[in-house]
Amino acid sequence: MELVIAITLGVLTTTGVYLILRARTFSVVLGLTLLSHGVNLFLFSMGRLTTASPAVIGLVENYTDPLPQALVLTAIVISFSMTAFVVVLALKAAVELRSDHVDGEDPNEDRQ
Amino acid sequence: MNHLMIMPIVIPLLTGAFLLVMYRYNIGRQRSLSIGSTLLLVIFAVWAILQAGVSDYTLYRLGNWQPPFGIVLVLDRLSAIMLLLTALLSLFCVLYASRGSDREGSHFHALLQFQLMGINGAFLTGDLFNLFVFFEVLLIASYALLLHGGGRARSRAGLHYVVINLAGSALFLLALGILYGLTGTLNMADLARVIATAPEADLPLLKAASLLLMVVFGIKAALLPLLFWLPRAYSAASAPVAALFAIMTKVGFYAMVRVFLVVFGLDEGSPANDTVLAWLWPMALITLSLGGIGVLGASSLRTLTAYMVIVSVGILLATMSRNDEQLLAASLFYLLHSTCMTAVFFLLADLIGRYRENGYDRFSVISPLSHRWILGTVFLVAAVSMASLPPFSGFVSKAWILQSSSTLPDYLWLWAPILISGLLIIAALSRAGSGWFWRPEELADKAAPALDGARTATVCVMIAISFSLAIFAQPVMDYLEAAARLIYEPSGYVEAVLGDYVGQSREVTE
Amino acid sequence: MDIGLLVFLPVLGAIASLLSRLKRPGPDHVQRHALVALIAPAICLLLLLSYLPRVQSGEALVYSFSWVPEIGLGIAFRLDGLSWLFATLITGIGCLIILYARYYFAGKDTAGRFFVLIQLFMTAMLGIVLSENLLFMLVFWELTSLVSFLLIGFTWSSRNARRGARMSLVITGGGGLALLGGILLLGQIVGSYQITDVLAATDTIVSDDRYPLTLSLILLGAFTKSAQAPFHLWLPHAMAAPTPVSAYLHSATMVKAGLFLMARLHPAMGDTELWFSLITITGMVTLMVGAFVAMFMHDIKGLLAYSTISHLGLITLLIGMGSEMAMAAALFHLTVHALFKAPLFMMAGIVDQATGSRDMRNINGLWRTMPALMLITAVPAAAMAGLPLMSGYLSKKMLFSESLLVTAPHWATTLIPVWVTVAGLFSVAYSVRIFHNVFFNGQPVDLPHWPPRKKPAGMLVPLFILAAASLLVGLAPQATYDSLIHLAVMATSMTHLPLYDFSALSEAQVPAMMSMVAMVGGVVFYLARSSLFAIHRQLPDVDAKNIFEQIMQQSIRFAQSLVYRLENGSLQRYLAFILVAAIAPGLWMLSSYTGWQGPSALTAVNPMVVFGAVILCLSAIGVALFHHQRLPALLLLSVTGLFVTLAFAQFSAPDLALTQLSVEVMAVVIMMLALSFLPQTSPRESGAGRIVRDLGLAGLAGTGIALFAYAVLTRPAETISGYFLANSVPGGGGTNVVNVILVDFRGFDTLGEITVLGIAAVAVFAFTRDLHLKERVASAGTAKGFAEPHPVILQMVSRMALPIALLVSAYIFLRGHNMPGGGFIAGLVTAVALTLQYMAGGLVWAQERMLTHFRPLIGAGLLIATATGLGSWVVGYPFLTSAFSHMDWPLIGEFELATALLFDLGVYTTVVGATLLILANLGKLMTVAGPGQEVG
Repeated sequence: MELVIAITLGVLTTTGVYLILRARTFSVVLGLTLLSHGVNLFLFSMGRLTTASPAVIGLVENYTDPLPQALVLTAIVISFSMTAFVVVLALKAAVELRSDHVDGEDPNEDRQ
Repeated sequence: MNHLMIMPIVIPLLTGAFLLVMYRYNIGRQRSLSIGSTLLLVIFAVWAILQAGVSDYTLYRLGNWQPPFGIVLVLDRLSAIMLLLTALLSLFCVLYASRGSDREGSHFHALLQFQLMGINGAFLTGDLFNLFVFFEVLLIASYALLLHGGGRARSRAGLHYVVINLAGSALFLLALGILYGLTGTLNMADLARVIATAPEADLPLLKAASLLLMVVFGIKAALLPLLFWLPRAYSAASAPVAALFAIMTKVGFYAMVRVFLVVFGLDEGSPANDTVLAWLWPMALITLSLGGIGVLGASSLRTLTAYMVIVSVGILLATMSRNDEQLLAASLFYLLHSTCMTAVFFLLADLIGRYRENGYDRFSVISPLSHRWILGTVFLVAAVSMASLPPFSGFVSKAWILQSSSTLPDYLWLWAPILISGLLIIAALSRAGSGWFWRPEELADKAAPALDGARTATVCVMIAISFSLAIFAQPVMDYLEAAARLIYEPSGYVEAVLGDYVGQSREVTE
Repeated sequence: MDIGLLVFLPVLGAIASLLSRLKRPGPDHVQRHALVALIAPAICLLLLLSYLPRVQSGEALVYSFSWVPEIGLGIAFRLDGLSWLFATLITGIGCLIILYARYYFAGKDTAGRFFVLIQLFMTAMLGIVLSENLLFMLVFWELTSLVSFLLIGFTWSSRNARRGARMSLVITGGGGLALLGGILLLGQIVGSYQITDVLAATDTIVSDDRYPLTLSLILLGAFTKSAQAPFHLWLPHAMAAPTPVSAYLHSATMVKAGLFLMARLHPAMGDTELWFSLITITGMVTLMVGAFVAMFMHDIKGLLAYSTISHLGLITLLIGMGSEMAMAAALFHLTVHALFKAPLFMMAGIVDQATGSRDMRNINGLWRTMPALMLITAVPAAAMAGLPLMSGYLSKKMLFSESLLVTAPHWATTLIPVWVTVAGLFSVAYSVRIFHNVFFNGQPVDLPHWPPRKKPAGMLVPLFILAAASLLVGLAPQATYDSLIHLAVMATSMTHLPLYDFSALSEAQVPAMMSMVAMVGGVVFYLARSSLFAIHRQLPDVDAKNIFEQIMQQSIRFAQSLVYRLENGSLQRYLAFILVAAIAPGLWMLSSYTGWQGPSALTAVNPMVVFGAVILCLSAIGVALFHHQRLPALLLLSVTGLFVTLAFAQFSAPDLALTQLSVEVMAVVIMMLALSFLPQTSPRESGAGRIVRDLGLAGLAGTGIALFAYAVLTRPAETISGYFLANSVPGGGGTNVVNVILVDFRGFDTLGEITVLGIAAVAVFAFTRDLHLKERVASAGTAKGFAEPHPVILQMVSRMALPIALLVSAYIFLRGHNMPGGGFIAGLVTAVALTLQYMAGGLVWAQERMLTHFRPLIGAGLLIATATGLGSWVVGYPFLTSAFSHMDWPLIGEFELATALLFDLGVYTTVVGATLLILANLGKLMTVAGPGQEVG
């Protein structure tokens, strides 16, 4: 089981990292999302994975570790905010830099 | 339980939120609110300095939960210093921005207040995940502030800055995950305790986590090779924002000090931070050298200042990585100086740029400027201080760093880049100054706009601070030494935070 | 303390001059300035004279006050023979220079600036020679560099002035940094920066293994300041300064600072092989280069500049020899040189102003028009040449006799005497030239002003005084030496010496012959000058300024290219760097790590989970593969999100599942909207190599994560969570521990989290406000999805859905504390419902029907949450302490009314506000209402 999870996390991260290294903003956004999925799952799994034991007092007899869940929830919200932000920023950049390349049409135009 | 302690976080939060509710406030009211809240921050920071001077550690248990279960704020001399520095810096930035640059976009003041909340939170928190949260707060606010005013350069720099920091946040979460998975706790003191007693097999993993954190904080602090976003971001930002950003790299430095020296440094025998410090030393030195080269090669005053920031980061991290109490105190003094002066130069670039007929702050452009004498004098004095020539704080701090590092076996590795970069800075600044103030013709005074007294005064006061920092160096140094001493007594920190808590109610779940 | 007064009086004087500048420049303003400026130096001079008796009694007066004891930096002054000699020269000549400048600057309104700077400079010089604390001395050392920078650039409209100024600043400033290093090392060795302690610690210093480095650094400072080869290049270009400046800084005082430093530290660091070789050789080279070049200078000031260089070299050479007598000779000649060089410069200034030229090829036969000047100049010129009875003659003879006394090392024994004789010969040549060429040598050649302008007689007074002094020294050397210089010599050797015996000197035969040779040869050289010039013209002439500028340009270009190559504005490159930085160290350290497999046993494989995992992986890989087709990629991404949700659900995290689900919906919606503006496909631009590199990085990263996850998962967990499970109900008043953690145990995190969300929304609002999507981005395909008019069915459905959705969210909100749910999820559900209205009805429709001011909503949410936290102060508890009471509600059932609920309300409000604000502004970009008016 642990192996399966580990591999899944590995795949998520790999794809995410690969995509953020691409040249177009949209791919980068996709990559960031995948990466955050991977990271959230990773953080989540750090509380060790148990089935059918939600941390709701009185519901079941033994509970899973609630803390990572709380952390992940915070992380999800934050990464959501960031995604939303970066998507709109990508739009803005694409318009102003005349291209949806991450460096715009000409990376060094404002250096001379 | 002293409620004043949470003020540095709550005040800007309330101000920012209130500014959003009153989103129709005219700029005047926004300004007065923002300035007022920043003034309050200064007052509370002064209180914090005094408080930390009286008692080494002041705790604030949020939700009244016993650490390590609840989040706890810890105020010691180091955090107090950073609070005061931030408050003063932001006050000047707000004042400067209130002369007009805050109108270039919407909600400048609200965003700035949120930024302050994030920075202060990062300085106060004693919980690693909470540190992550405050990092996100100050980052998202800084994204917004960086874009403030719009324009191509800002969009591009902003996009890079944002994406890079998102990657950084992901790394932070990974490191947090590893740490929690291995130690089962998030409170810094508790982490220190557990790491110090960690099983041999786990140690490499913990150290790997510390290396990840080095990258995370390194991105914020602009450590080579993680710093390439900085020059453009800082030179694209509007002047007061860039000036405020002068503190941001120092947040990264602060986090490294806290985490590497305290959390990973508890076990005096074989501290877990040896690996990360070993990596920091060479990288910081290269950072410093590259910064010096960049200063020489800069094409505009803002870029030059951005590379000055990199130089200062290099010096700070290099000294910090040598794990020496005296040296840390010295680098803290240098931190005060460099933060102040880089901020000054970002503002100065804007101030002078406004009075040059064309070319703004570019060196390549020879343009007539007005108010040559006043601006020239201010620039000269500022440059002397920036080049850490006497009698300004830069000279004292540099002397202190060189002195206290001379006991190291490999001190020359630090001395050479520091002294040489100093020379490069002198060369670059003398070129800039003579090119701007000696070369061109005076602008006909009727054509010239009147000199903005408030902006100029702001800059002058900041320079004066750098000067008085040198005049009253001794008391400051005593305080900093005490701060450094605390950092190098992690056991005291753990003792103070955890108190009588002895791993009770920790259960093993297979 | 009044020694300190000595140093700071000129500052007051400078301030006075500054104030007197404010008065409108009248016809006599230069007169006024000069008088004001004269006060402080004059007082200083008198003070110094009043000290003479105490100094002559051989005591060193030391006053110190602590400034920054931490780094050993103190305000400390020391007045002994050496510093007295220098201080007197500085103030005395300073007064005369000011007197001279009063005429030189007559009618120029730059005069005021000059008088301010010259006094500042005097302070700096006095500070150097009177400091007891070496670090304190450094403060003034750098100040001299700075002020001299300003004085050389005095006439900044001229390019030469600017370049010369920069050059001198960079060279002397660099030297200053080296000196800083050297002094710090010295201080570390000795354990104090007080000169008294340093001089007492000779053995410690010389025996320390850092001694060579320390000495070299200090000498670097001294050499750059005293224009020793090869750092002498800046001095000739400092001649761009007005002549009074050249006369004062660049002959009489500043360039002597380096010599002073060497003399000062000689007792502590001298008398070693290293000291001898470093300083002597440098001195010899400088002496020769200066003297040689000087002969071929046509510019009077240029000639004087190079002769200064050679005399500085001469003194350096003597200091290098280091014997007491050599020191005596050095200091004697230093005094002599100051006395004859200053008037020569003044003469140059007068000639320059009178004739409008400084070129000796044109200036000839001035004796007819300026006889007085000629007569006065004769003395210093003769002194420089070292004619008998002149002060220069004596000092040169002293040099010769010292050169004969050199016994070790063997190479020096014969070389030095010959060397100095040749140099002496050159110096005679150029001395003869400057005098004969200017005042005789036939008729002047087309000078700008001819006949020369009359200069006021007063201008000659300072020359006269100096010339007289120099004559006096020549006539009564013994008296001069005994009364003034002997003390200084003792200070430089820290031993009690017998007086120098000049009668013995006059009997010495060999030196006399050597100077005869020099004199005769010099005259011969001068007579043969025309042919020599011809030869010299063959030599390539090198302009140091250009060389320097080129070096500067080169290094700047290098710096630029390097920086540009690294910081090339490519995000992909930066990210790659970051990844490498994140991976490499870990790889380095863990490559040999074996402990990945933890102690606890692996759990059984659950086929369903595996199935889910496989789909998750496949969809993720799919996204990576098809990221060029963006819509499919986006759909695959949402599949990934869905299965992440399922994973949360599977592993007993219902709250996470709910959150992830609602977030997923939102995120996908937002991306869809964005996508409708971006190109639908991205070009394939990364080459194979790049793709391989990235795959490699990504693979490594992935492997790393997998390994870490595996390592942790196979270890037993020991966490603090037991406490939360135990205290959730009694302490937090909720059975849903995750929610209790969020709103209570770690409520502070949540506060930060919603702040982030709020800021993100406001930021989006802020930077889309002025954004106009006139046409879709370049190379964009046809827009899909939400830009089209709004489908009817969607409208109906969404409108029916709204009330239900709101009800649901209320329920989720209320039960949150006990069951999965809570403010955040409820907020998102509400937002989704409202968003549907937007998509269906469009912004315009929505704006007509419902509240569209979201920023206040965000603010209110944050305020509520914060206020809840502050509320606990009332009952004396820290921020965010929760209180709760049970009560029974219809339909929803028994639950706690906790302050946490209020906090959650804040969360809810913020989430709704933020989400809608983002969507509204994104929507604004595309609606017919279009950009322009604010939304939210």
